[in-house]
Amino acid sequence: MQQLLNGIFIGSIYALFAIGFTLVFGILDRLNLAHPAVFAASAFVGIELVERGGLSLWAALPLVFVVGGVLGLLIERLAFRPLKGRADAHFAGLISSIALAGMLIALLQWRYGPDTRRFPPGSFPDTRFEVFGAQVTLVQVVILAVSLALMVGLTYMVTRTRLGRGMRAVAENPTAARVLGVDVDRVTAVTFAISSALGAVAGVLFAINVNTAQLGMGAAIELKGLAVIIVGGMGSLPGALIGGLLLGLAEVFAVQYIGSSWIDVIAFGLLFVILLLRPQGLLGARKVREV
Amino acid sequence: MLAQYATTLTFIALGAIFAYSFYAVLIAGQLSLGQAGFAALSAFAGAYLAPSPADVGDVPSLLIAVAIGMSVGALAAVVLGLPTMHLRGVFLAIATLGFAEAVRVVLTNQEWTGGAQGLGVPRVLTVGMAWLALGLVAYWFWRMGRSRYGRALAAIREDELAARAMGIDVGRHRLAAFVTAGAVAGLYGVLYAYYVRLIAPDDFDFTAAVEGLVTAVVGGSTMFLGPLLGSGFQTIVPEIQRAVGVEAGWIRPFLASLLLLVVILFLPGGLASLLPRRTRMPGTTGDQAGKRAGRTHPAAGETVVSLAGLGKEYGGVHAVRDVDLEVRAGEVVGLIGPNGAGKTTLVNMISGLVPPSTGTATVLGAAIGRTPVHRIAAAGVSRTFQHAKLFNRLSALENVLVGAHLVSRPTFLRRLLWLPSARRDERAALLQAAGCLERVGLADQAATRAEALSYGDQRRLEIARALASDPSLLILDEPAAGMNHVEAQRLSELITSLARDGLTILFIEHNVGMVLRTCTRVVVLNFGEVIASGAPGEIASDPAVIEAYLGSADEDPAGGSIAEGTLDDPASAERADTPPDAVANVRPGAAGDLEPPDTTPRNAT
Repeated sequence: MQQLLNGIFIGSIYALFAIGFTLVFGILDRLNLAHPAVFAASAFVGIELVERGGLSLWAALPLVFVVGGVLGLLIERLAFRPLKGRADAHFAGLISSIALAGMLIALLQWRYGPDTRRFPPGSFPDTRFEVFGAQVTLVQVVILAVSLALMVGLTYMVTRTRLGRGMRAVAENPTAARVLGVDVDRVTAVTFAISSALGAVAGVLFAINVNTAQLGMGAAIELKGLAVIIVGGMGSLPGALIGGLLLGLAEVFAVQYIGSSWIDVIAFGLLFVILLLRPQGLLGARKVREV
Repeated sequence: MLAQYATTLTFIALGAIFAYSFYAVLIAGQLSLGQAGFAALSAFAGAYLAPSPADVGDVPSLLIAVAIGMSVGALAAVVLGLPTMHLRGVFLAIATLGFAEAVRVVLTNQEWTGGAQGLGVPRVLTVGMAWLALGLVAYWFWRMGRSRYGRALAAIREDELAARAMGIDVGRHRLAAFVTAGAVAGLYGVLYAYYVRLIAPDDFDFTAAVEGLVTAVVGGSTMFLGPLLGSGFQTIVPEIQRAVGVEAGWIRPFLASLLLLVVILFLPGGLASLLPRRTRMPGTTGDQAGKRAGRTHPAAGETVVSLAGLGKEYGGVHAVRDVDLEVRAGEVVGLIGPNGAGKTTLVNMISGLVPPSTGTATVLGAAIGRTPVHRIAAAGVSRTFQHAKLFNRLSALENVLVGAHLVSRPTFLRRLLWLPSARRDERAALLQAAGCLERVGLADQAATRAEALSYGDQRRLEIARALASDPSLLILDEPAAGMNHVEAQRLSELITSLARDGLTILFIEHNVGMVLRTCTRVVVLNFGEVIASGAPGEIASDPAVIEAYLGSADEDPAGGSIAEGTLDDPASAERADTPPDAVANVRPGAAGDLEPPDTTPRNAT
């Protein structure tokens, strides 16, 4: 039971991270490899807000959300918009976002140094609950609640609001969307901002969960994020949620029953099988290219 | 002097070789990150299995290890490639990345690899050997570039569907490129192992794979020198920073990333795009080798196309219904009908791009529906597309050379050995391609990239490309769309002259006047069914045809003969007078959907 809950907590963070990933891919058809750098950066920023700014953990979260959004706008402007209309935009976008991620990590190193950082002692309330005989901290409950709330909010926005309609229109056909009066550039920028804001919150939550932030934490979750969005189905938001939870659970149980050194084989074995059997992912729809 | 830079130079060579393993698939438009896995398998297998340098000497030991490593890499690529070659774009990248990560974890958990501690390997590789190996790899890709095989890979990168229609077996070519990548990655793995003294599975992780990809793309993935330039750039930038005294820490990676961003944003073709590129034109001097007998064509009057009850249904909508049609060699058949009548769908079925739902069809002896597109092309069918599908980043001449794929001989292996016969074959192909360009009046545009041509010229280039395969049946899908009257007139003359040469032509056109002037027979489709078929004169006065085009006579007294040929766009004829079962009209764009259902979203390359 304890393992199950732990799996759900870590899985919800994976899901939140992956949803940011898959949002950009699903709507704009671009893989943003600077996403993991935002994840790492926000963890450091979150720690600084708590440590120096003296904010409580909960007050820091919305601020980190905003910081993530700003980073997203920067990523779009610097790494993706200049490539618009280029035949190799797909490859080039991968590389330019990798370059931007490198710059971001270098800046983090400048500001915070290469060492692992932690939240100051006493940042976490010690409230604990007992659920079905398993220990659960208030922090973990908040992680789950925040992740779920953001995912529900995002789903509502994409399916119900005017902006979300614009996003779906752009995903379907950018040219037609433009003709019909959708401001494609604005929708693109907003998509990046939301995606990065979600990744940023995921980063802080992850740092809270393990109480550490490292420069390499983004790279470590990057592969998992990719696995999750493939398993769930590229561009599918509920797919990313399910994929994230699956991965979190699989990892926790793999550590317990098989040994920690084999974790990644589980994730990638699953990934590989899914790609072969159902390339569009569990919940992804097949997209047919137009001629 | 050299000794001082030996380490840097060796790493440039090693980085370049690894980048070539990415280049090997990028030129075919595939994004793979599995090379790190191939390199890891090869490095450990080579280092573990090859005899020690103490027993057999340095060079033999290294050579044996290289042989083992390249075989292991190639074999792994076959094993991984067979199930994954149907994946495209990011999906292939992530699947191969999953493979590489799995390899890394498995190797880490093995006893014989030393696990995370790594495996000690004697240092045998010298800077000279590294550059010799790099030279051989670069030579391979240099000679490949202008061979038939190299052009076929470039064509697949630019437009897979058009490449298929030109008779290129895409699956085999993609797998071949992948296996090449595996072998080159294997070479890198072994050389790396014999240089760094200690290899660990983590040397071949995700970061390493991304670095290899970045190196290849920065250098330029369409020119054989690209990976070398990229590796030089990636290795030398930190060295220069150190030399000029930039402190270690965050500034170096920051500047390196910034430079990478600048290169990728402002040099679309990578560093290699800074190099001048010469375009080759066959000299007009020398013997005009004359027409090479490409293939044997059916004699005039023999059946070329035979359709029986052919139909195509898209989710309950009948795009084409129960079409019987026979086309004989030497005929020029015009296919007309209002928009959405099913013309393009019919032609797509005949050229094998779309499998029929019902009925049977034989085209030049090939059974439609069971024969892959490239086989149908090999049988002698060549076509153009409604929306020009050219190989955009190739020159006009190269486009036509790809068109000649089926009638030219493979030259790559002979080009590696500089055999004169390869030179002769290439020259013959060039002359033939130049001849096709001249025939459509594009000889002076041979060196222009296809994407830079005007719309009308692109249409004509497509015809030249289709002609290059010396087809028995030429299918043109709206060749005159977007052409003015003068251009359309010239096109009509071209078609007539092709027919005089004995070519069978089937073409879709909205310019009815042109069709009536050019064709020996006209077939009219409406709502997926043949409503009339016959000589141009009969068709022009057929009441059913006039009704389909202009509405029924009593409603529209102006609807006289359509033979004046002024009717360019019959789309306006589809109006309120469509029959109640108008559902049969295909959904917009359905006819144009040619892509096989693959998993790649739009724009994926």
